[in-house]
Amino acid sequence: MFFAQLKNELWKLFGKKRTYIGFGAFVVALSAMLLIFKYTHWQPNLEGILSVHGYLASEYISVLTVALIMIFPQVALLMPLYVTLVGGDLVAKEAEDGTLRMILSRPVSRVRLLLVKWIAGIIFTAVLVVALGVIALGFAGVCYPWRGMFVFGQIQPGADMTFSLFTAHQGLVLFAVSHVFIVINTITLMSVAFMFSCFNMKPAAATILALSFMFVSMVMERIPFFDAYQDWFITHHLECWFLIFQQPTPWQEIYQSELILAATSATAFIIGVMGFQVRDIKS
Amino acid sequence: MISLVDLKKTFGERVALHGLNLEVRPGEIFGLLGHNGAGKSTAIGMMLGQVWPTSGSVKVCGHDVTTHRALALRKVGAIFEAPAFYDYLSGRRNVEILSHYSAPTPGKRIDEVLDWVGLTERQGSKVRTYSHGMRARLAIAQALLPRPELLIFDEPGSGLDPEGIAEMRQTILRLHREMGLTILLSSHLLSEVEQLCSRIAVLNQGRKVFDGPIADAKAAPGRLMLKTPDFARAAALLIERGIITSSSDERFIKLSDGRTTSEAVRVLVNANIPVNGIWQQEQTLEDFYMALVKASANGK
Repeated sequence: MFFAQLKNELWKLFGKKRTYIGFGAFVVALSAMLLIFKYTHWQPNLEGILSVHGYLASEYISVLTVALIMIFPQVALLMPLYVTLVGGDLVAKEAEDGTLRMILSRPVSRVRLLLVKWIAGIIFTAVLVVALGVIALGFAGVCYPWRGMFVFGQIQPGADMTFSLFTAHQGLVLFAVSHVFIVINTITLMSVAFMFSCFNMKPAAATILALSFMFVSMVMERIPFFDAYQDWFITHHLECWFLIFQQPTPWQEIYQSELILAATSATAFIIGVMGFQVRDIKS
Repeated sequence: MISLVDLKKTFGERVALHGLNLEVRPGEIFGLLGHNGAGKSTAIGMMLGQVWPTSGSVKVCGHDVTTHRALALRKVGAIFEAPAFYDYLSGRRNVEILSHYSAPTPGKRIDEVLDWVGLTERQGSKVRTYSHGMRARLAIAQALLPRPELLIFDEPGSGLDPEGIAEMRQTILRLHREMGLTILLSSHLLSEVEQLCSRIAVLNQGRKVFDGPIADAKAAPGRLMLKTPDFARAAALLIERGIITSSSDERFIKLSDGRTTSEAVRVLVNANIPVNGIWQQEQTLEDFYMALVKASANGK
């Protein structure tokens, strides 16, 4: 029954038109990034940086390099917005629409129902992130050749500057592994929105609270006073996926952040369950 | 089938139910009446394990809902006011989804219930294209999936046109007749309750103010219809003699406590007022309900 219930939840998520509108928004954003990179000073600047360091730009301005540039703003901005929308809807929207009351007139336990919904949210998030990566590779592949990967930039002002070069094979592996980390990070945001969604509030309120939680963390993380407390901010850990492109890769730091994020997700789920368990479901 | 004992529910400072005791017996159609906010939906919510009682116990099908919810609701179906579905999915998919939250349900059973409610032809259409009546039928279909012994209807007539209400009434009678289900019906539509239920309970401001057979509710003790060519003189005389307490509508009289119909007739005949007929008047459920609520509001 568990898998049948999980299938139901996925049907509900993937049956909505809004899901595909969201996917469409990512496609539009990725296309915009590709065009901006190609037709502004961005590409020549990157080529200039490579030349200054003695590398042949044509060897590194490739599918992988451009795909990473394309997904970066999506992961930082559009993805949190979208997954918190989905997470905030998971329970609160059903409560608002009245379908939750219909489900809970059946002999299913509340914990089981939430577990199924949460796992469906996780699967949805993973599919979304993977789709984002694949679409970025596909779009970049239309305009750029399959060559080595060049990663240049910093995750936030003041952070270590990354300047890394990889062969196409190395780059593809790192690109794929970075998506595993992006999935875990995104699940955390979805889980926080899901937690709020389990309490008696509107879906939009759950989304706004989750986003507020993220933005407050982001702002505080950037205040110099809190430099010594970076580990306490969730956004600090959300940025860990980009560290995979540093050389040498700080695996320990990445694993630590991922563990903290996974624990945050689990904690959010448990708090959500506790809130939902004691809640009265009324029309 | 349903047993509520001293059930109390408070929402913050507000008391929604004051120690409700209620018994719904197997095989009956039981009506739960009350105005908005009387506590009907709260009571139903507690029967379905959706609302936690502050104190007291709720047993459904012999099991305590708060501690053994899954067992208690195994053979229960519920139909709510303005039933909500996943509008972007088909009727059949909706029923399938809801079936997976009960016991495993074979596709054949889904075919059966959709056929029973007459939705076989439209099962593949999206629910957003359904009329109110079709949504109500789909709600019944999903409630019938676990082969229930008890069906709980929470305001099933809301949002339906007169034709839909009549159809719903026939469906409830059919469910009772063909499947022998116990039915709890919470409704504002007194005429529907009057036509369907064998027993009723009336809630007012979270308190039960009546519980008994509908025949008891409709019997108006001491209320008589008097047919006479001079009703005004007859009524005045009977009031003067203390045999009746009041008269109304140029037809009805209300006997004083301890007085009888024959006394009234004797007084009128002795006063040369012809009596063409006098008989016990049965009140409508609406009369009964309004009187009860009024009396309850006056603290009687």
